[in-house]
Amino acid sequence: MTVPAMPSPPMTGEVRPPASVAPPITENATIVVERLSKWYGDVVAVSDVTFGIDPGVTALLGPNGAGKSTTLEMLTGLLAPSAGTIRLLGKPARGDVSLYRDVGLVPEQETLYPFLTCREFVRLNAVLQKLSDPDAATERALDIVEMLPDADRELRGFSKGMRQRTKVAAALVHDPSILLMDEPLNGTDPLQRARLIDLIIRLGKQGKTVVVSSHILHEVERFADRILVINRGKLAAAGDYHAIRDKIDEHARAVRIRCSDPRRLASELIRDNAIVSMRFEPTLDGTLPSLVIETGDVRSFYRIAPAAARALDVHLYEVSALDDSLASVFAYVVGR
Amino acid sequence: MMDPVPILGLTIRQFIGGKAIRVVFLFSLVPAIFALIYLIDAGTSTPREFIAGIFQELVAPTLLPIVTLILATNALGNEVEDRTMVYLVLKPISRARIVLEKFAAVVLTATLILWESMLLTYLLAMRGDAGNNIEQLLAIFAAQFVGVLGYGALFMAISLIVPRALLAGLIYSLLWESLFGRFIPGIRLVSVRHYVQSIYVRLLDRPAVSLDEAMNLFPALIVIACLVGATLAIATWRLRTMNLE
Repeated sequence: MTVPAMPSPPMTGEVRPPASVAPPITENATIVVERLSKWYGDVVAVSDVTFGIDPGVTALLGPNGAGKSTTLEMLTGLLAPSAGTIRLLGKPARGDVSLYRDVGLVPEQETLYPFLTCREFVRLNAVLQKLSDPDAATERALDIVEMLPDADRELRGFSKGMRQRTKVAAALVHDPSILLMDEPLNGTDPLQRARLIDLIIRLGKQGKTVVVSSHILHEVERFADRILVINRGKLAAAGDYHAIRDKIDEHARAVRIRCSDPRRLASELIRDNAIVSMRFEPTLDGTLPSLVIETGDVRSFYRIAPAAARALDVHLYEVSALDDSLASVFAYVVGR
Repeated sequence: MMDPVPILGLTIRQFIGGKAIRVVFLFSLVPAIFALIYLIDAGTSTPREFIAGIFQELVAPTLLPIVTLILATNALGNEVEDRTMVYLVLKPISRARIVLEKFAAVVLTATLILWESMLLTYLLAMRGDAGNNIEQLLAIFAAQFVGVLGYGALFMAISLIVPRALLAGLIYSLLWESLFGRFIPGIRLVSVRHYVQSIYVRLLDRPAVSLDEAMNLFPALIVIACLVGATLAIATWRLRTMNLE
């Protein structure tokens, strides 16, 4: 499907500046959002957002209150947009219940039916999906999230992580082609988190459209091919994670260096034209201060700094980018 | 095995596992307590008069609407409030089916509780001579069932429209129907209570109580049927259009 209204360049490798974060809508897009807005009185929750989502894993990133959950709720049809349109698999997100045969939602809220067992809850979802063999579908979904050993326990006794996995099983029970997950990693322990991330990656590789809302930035980096960054209700950036990070490289980056003689090394590095600023950061234990350098060309700096240290016979103990993570991408794009 | 009415079953289990059912059940024992007092001192009234009085003065104006109100607001409104409703609405099933199954659960549960309450009261008041007055009990059962249909549909619709549905329902049944209805005769025409009481009176040759301007049986049934149809349609429309945040 092509959406001619908003012409856009190809998505791969391209990052849109926030002023014109146009949607990378392709023919493969299973979710097409155009000029979506939601406001409550004078408060704008989502403002004129346009994007397309292809099969694979896409992360919806943003700080709390940025409009992620509101956007997801509108994608599922739970919430009516104030303006704009949403189409999933070519159908409007709201008003056509047949769409839910192909869509699964893992909602953020934890409330489940406490008196049901895990198996009963997942089966209820299978029955409501009108599956021909709800029992087999239930067992399959429970197996995927590794909940079979606890399937006959009541949900009231479940930990947060177990509830998350139960919700994922319920969302997967009808094998939807679009899976929307609102903060699915919340409350999971490291092992559960790793398994859920593996599952998300696996579902993406199977050709499903998986949209994961999250604010846990370093984890998103592990599973999302693409990210949509939402801040203050606006689409701050959209595209490939690595492309966005490369874009960050064009801007000043902070690097901390711990070494045997920070002042001597600083006097050498200051000659580099790309250096924007330099400061010494005292340490709490009274040892040598750290050297914090802001550079406009971080890749070049990573070559120059070790060479300078070697030439001066200064020992490097640590060279760490203060913002070399998805957190920096996030801070950069939302801070603009 | 396929479950033809999964939402009905789910809702009844919600009722059974919730606190509301215990409150409702305890509340439903109030007429039986009056029957025990009647056993101790019957005064001058016959059992038939006592049972008619209990129904017309306690069950129809208070117990019936409140029991139904609590269950009806629990059935839909609470699921919207605690957001478990998303597990029902994000399915390829019509909103009308959700409303109808929820309504059926309310009607089934409320009717059984009210019948149990009235049966117990009847058995106590009749002092073991239960077969002697059975047509009165059956008339009460019928009136209660119709009342549960009317109140159930009305309160379910209210629970999707008004944030404090329980309070709104109490205001309707206790202030509007009971208090204002007493002083402003016209109000009874727009109160479920009057139709429920009319059905009881019209089903019996000797109702043992009088009711001013009692409606005839079929017009009363038609009004309740229209109320049920209209309010369930409103509830379905509301569930279809509301934002579930």
